[in-house]
Amino acid sequence: MDPLAFALNPADYGLPTREELVGYRIWDTHFHGFNATTDPLGQFHANNLYVRRMGIERSITLEAGGTLRAPLQPAAHDAELRALLVQERAWLSGITPIDPGFPDESCAKMEAWIRHGPCIGIKYVGGNSRGIPCSHPNNDPIIRLAAELGATIYIHTWLKVGGKPRSPGRGNLPGESTPEDVVALARRFPDVRFICGHSGGDWELGVRSVRAQRNVLLEFAGSDPHSGAVDFAARELGADRLVWGGHGPSRSYATELAKVLDSDLSPADRLKVFGGNFRRLAAPILRRQGIPFEL
Amino acid sequence: MNPPLLPRRHFLRQAAAASAAVTLARAANPAPASVPTAPPGIVDTHVTLFRWPFRRLKYDSTPALVAKLRRHRVTEAWAGSHEALLHKDLAGVNERLAAECRAHGGGLLRPFGSVNLAWPDWEEDLRRCHEEHRMPGVRLFPGYQTFDLTHPDLGRLVQLTAERGLILQIVFQLEDPRVHHPLLSLPVIDARPLVPLLEQTPAARVQLVHFAGNVQGTDLRALVDRTGAWFEFSRWEGNGRLGQLISPGPGGARPPVPASRVLFGSHAPYFPLETGLLRLFESPLDAETLHALMHRNARRLLPG
Repeated sequence: MDPLAFALNPADYGLPTREELVGYRIWDTHFHGFNATTDPLGQFHANNLYVRRMGIERSITLEAGGTLRAPLQPAAHDAELRALLVQERAWLSGITPIDPGFPDESCAKMEAWIRHGPCIGIKYVGGNSRGIPCSHPNNDPIIRLAAELGATIYIHTWLKVGGKPRSPGRGNLPGESTPEDVVALARRFPDVRFICGHSGGDWELGVRSVRAQRNVLLEFAGSDPHSGAVDFAARELGADRLVWGGHGPSRSYATELAKVLDSDLSPADRLKVFGGNFRRLAAPILRRQGIPFEL
Repeated sequence: MNPPLLPRRHFLRQAAAASAAVTLARAANPAPASVPTAPPGIVDTHVTLFRWPFRRLKYDSTPALVAKLRRHRVTEAWAGSHEALLHKDLAGVNERLAAECRAHGGGLLRPFGSVNLAWPDWEEDLRRCHEEHRMPGVRLFPGYQTFDLTHPDLGRLVQLTAERGLILQIVFQLEDPRVHHPLLSLPVIDARPLVPLLEQTPAARVQLVHFAGNVQGTDLRALVDRTGAWFEFSRWEGNGRLGQLISPGPGGARPPVPASRVLFGSHAPYFPLETGLLRLFESPLDAETLHALMHRNARRLLPG
């Protein structure tokens, strides 16, 4: 069996064919292909079957350099991953995770992996050892450097219910940012654009939080698919502020694609959300890094 | 390995063309006799009517949901009621569900009422579901319905549904607890107490709905190995997870879950219907397997 062939025609089920998926020019801005404790490269190669089946045009890994658990500690597979980002730059890009608990070390890592390396952006992971969210002043030198490099800035956010009394965000890990942390940071850097990741986990609240802060884009991967969520986000923020991520392999491309396919977005807006918006955001650094792409 | 600078879009388009060629080649060669040539319809074993208690859902009006299901070639859907999560008058809940399916189901919806083991006289609700509303099964919502699977009446419910020939659907964790309304504090439902109950009642037709199993996979393994339970896959998350759970491993190793016991379920209208549909295409499944998941297994569990 051809691993890329579908045994039945998706169009018979009201779904895009594979050719139509390719036509959406899908850029997965939230790719966890290397986020494995035992064999990150093996996981990446195994996942490629699904990348190709679902017609993903570019995968952008969020764990280029170190790991999400320890962003500033070199990982054993760093050299291989770095070589891969160069060799496969036609369809694979990297964003490097940083830790605002250690701003100097984070900036040094950005120099190594972005200015002198293949990466195109930074990621704030979900929590850190010093409990520093993205709103903390520690972040200012990191953002200044990111702006200088033209790096994209992705911030993991959640609003986990917890605490006493229970409320959204009080169940977060130490240092795990909320959408309101992103807004606080974005107010200090009005000329820089930020991606608020996971739509805050709770999209009904996350969208409200970032609504007025127009230099904040919203990415909505890594949470359960809720029918109507993308419609709501597009209505409140505009389709130009939405960015798609796949979050695979821990999330299914089926899950993440369905969020957009469920929506009433026009074909033109779907193209924006699936990749156009991110390409416009990242175009300067993509060009600087010599990454071939079309807007 | 891809040529390094071949634009990905061009590569993907070439691959798409190759896939299309394979599909066409298959079309030129008649399929095996057991595979009908018309695209099969889908039996969706997990949809739910009426209002989700915490927000409006895009397709929470029954006519809109039915139209949506039809657009995606769903020919039958087993429908529960969101009212069953929190209401105390389950008889009223079930009556409205039956009436709604008759009035707006367009011949597509089959009502699955509910009983709540935590409320008195649930046996009468079960009787009405079966005898008055002619429902093919009932659906439990442990957690929301304030009991878990250690409830002392659960064995009796399993026995009664088996005697009546009803399907018993047990729904796990409808919503990610991280986004629950703060007033909700639901327990994690442990499936393991089901194993001995189902062993004692082999005639029971029990379907685990929106169930992924625990992290270690021990409960799923025990349910597969020791019971005849059926599984709906809307909670099987991760790239290719569906295929990985039902396909033989290296060297033909037995799959974790036999494909013959897996049923399509969308969790619509809470989840987009497209999620479950795309899972069928994300994994490289052959036509026979797709037919089994889409309708044949459901027909074995609930003859039309």
